[in-house]
Amino acid sequence: MKRFEKKETGFITQVELKQTRGQIIYWVMFAVLIVVSICTFAPPLWILVSGFKDLDEFFLVPPTIIPQSFHPEKLVEVWKKFDYILYYRNTLFVALGSIVSGVVLNGLAGYVLSRLKPKGSKAVFMMILFIMMMPNTIGMVPLYLTICDFPYMHFNMLGTFWPMWLMAAASCFHILMFKSFFDSIPLSYIEAARIDGCSNVGIFFKIVVPLSIPVIMTVAIFIFNNSWGDFLWPYLVLNNKKLYTVSIFLFQNKAGNYSVDVYMVMLTLAIVPPVIVYAFLQKHIMGGMNLGGIKG
Amino acid sequence: MKLHNNQTAALSKRNKTIGTIIRDMGAWVLILPTLLILYFFVLRPIIVGAWYSLHEMQGFTIKEFVGLENYTRILADTQFPRVLWNTVQYVLWSFIIGFVPPIILAIMMNEMVHLKGWFKFSTYFPCIVPMVAATMLWFYMYLPNESGLLNTLLAHFGIEPFEWLQNDKFTIPLIMITCTWKGSGGSVIIYLASLQGVNQELYEATVIDGAGFLRRIRTIAIPHLSGIILLNAVRQIIGIFQIMAEPMTMTDGGPNGASMSIALWAYKTAFIDFNAATSLSIGVITFFLLVIFTVFYFAVQNKVQTD
Repeated sequence: MKRFEKKETGFITQVELKQTRGQIIYWVMFAVLIVVSICTFAPPLWILVSGFKDLDEFFLVPPTIIPQSFHPEKLVEVWKKFDYILYYRNTLFVALGSIVSGVVLNGLAGYVLSRLKPKGSKAVFMMILFIMMMPNTIGMVPLYLTICDFPYMHFNMLGTFWPMWLMAAASCFHILMFKSFFDSIPLSYIEAARIDGCSNVGIFFKIVVPLSIPVIMTVAIFIFNNSWGDFLWPYLVLNNKKLYTVSIFLFQNKAGNYSVDVYMVMLTLAIVPPVIVYAFLQKHIMGGMNLGGIKG
Repeated sequence: MKLHNNQTAALSKRNKTIGTIIRDMGAWVLILPTLLILYFFVLRPIIVGAWYSLHEMQGFTIKEFVGLENYTRILADTQFPRVLWNTVQYVLWSFIIGFVPPIILAIMMNEMVHLKGWFKFSTYFPCIVPMVAATMLWFYMYLPNESGLLNTLLAHFGIEPFEWLQNDKFTIPLIMITCTWKGSGGSVIIYLASLQGVNQELYEATVIDGAGFLRRIRTIAIPHLSGIILLNAVRQIIGIFQIMAEPMTMTDGGPNGASMSIALWAYKTAFIDFNAATSLSIGVITFFLLVIFTVFYFAVQNKVQTD
């Protein structure tokens, strides 16, 4: 049990881990966590497995828990039959546009609040904190009206991706993430560049951006996950079948239009892309959780 | 001579102010797009919505000013107390089911040297699953006929299929189980990060005092977390009180209105019944109910951060 010596956190001390009592408690907790981690995976796993059963087995009485048949080719069938590529493309389009507008506009806002601090920016910062916590129960109808008929300029954004892209830039949480990251960049870098005659914009792109790759990655992943899972606004705005995102497609077909096993495959297809992103970029997400000023 | 000095000082001072103004202007230009979007997509809708709620509306067009008539109609509506109570039930169940487990999980994960990365990965995993996919997944688990997973399990023990979401006594807790599965991973990660800041010497000291495991958790880990726990609690109240998409996708407010939350009611009033003014007044009423918690949150946050 050499690994116990690496233990640096927690209430069980090194000495106690060498005794049976401490070890029993440790392994009991370990077992509980294993069970919990199985529980978090069980529902999606069940979807994956039952989607690949053949239909006869699906309706077998009594039902099988461990599947007898496995047909991964169903994945391709469903993909082709429902034109799933269209929904993937639309969702991806929403996500990528949101990433661009969210990262650029929120990044600039965070930079202004953290580094440039023009006169009056304190008030703006307070306002952003306030907006972030404000209950958003009134905005739905007026926001829908805004999208139908933009104030003063009178254009209609229904049936376009613009509302989602613009709303991605209205994230106070991401502004604060950028701000708190920029706050941690040493001032001397910026001073040095300024003495060399670099402009604000130049400093931002030549010094701040390269240093901020981690926070940019984190925000981009957050926005990707949010947009991939976003439902209400795409549902209200994208009123044309050709523009449906994966979530709208799932919702529209929920009421048993297709057999259950086909729906399971649809669900699997919807879950896969964000899970791939998560599996490869987990570190950025975990690190980002503690950047947004939520720590106590 | 002295006068001359003063003049140059004043002049350079003025140049400096002009310089700052130009610099400030540049900064404002950079932040302006974001501020405009925040104004048009967040702030203005709230103000406009509150103003519209004082009017009679036909569909989505505003007619004449009627004062508080929309509000008196809502408050007299027999559905209002029921929906409000449902929403309170959502909040209560979210605390019963989902509040304590993340704290316990974080404390346990903080002990681990084996598979710690895996545990972090798996607890946060449900947060990655798209919302509609998650609710639909559980919808099929709760399916009242024999192909639902939970009924499959029951069948193996020879138990008759249960109606799950179709039973109005269980709808809200079952939806809350889904939300807990989907949402608690984030809290675990936050608690875990905070626990890593506990000074290990404190534990050593209590060991010398002869404190058992539970007492160590109670006297050191929990007090260390208390600030974040409180903030999370307030955030959970505010968040769950506005629950809408989960019941919308899973039950559509049913069976028979048993899972209708206040936000879903507002949504349906506006986008199904096309009664925008009524929907807005529901929103304004909820807003004022929640603003109390928001103010409280700010007070707590200031205290937690200065501690």
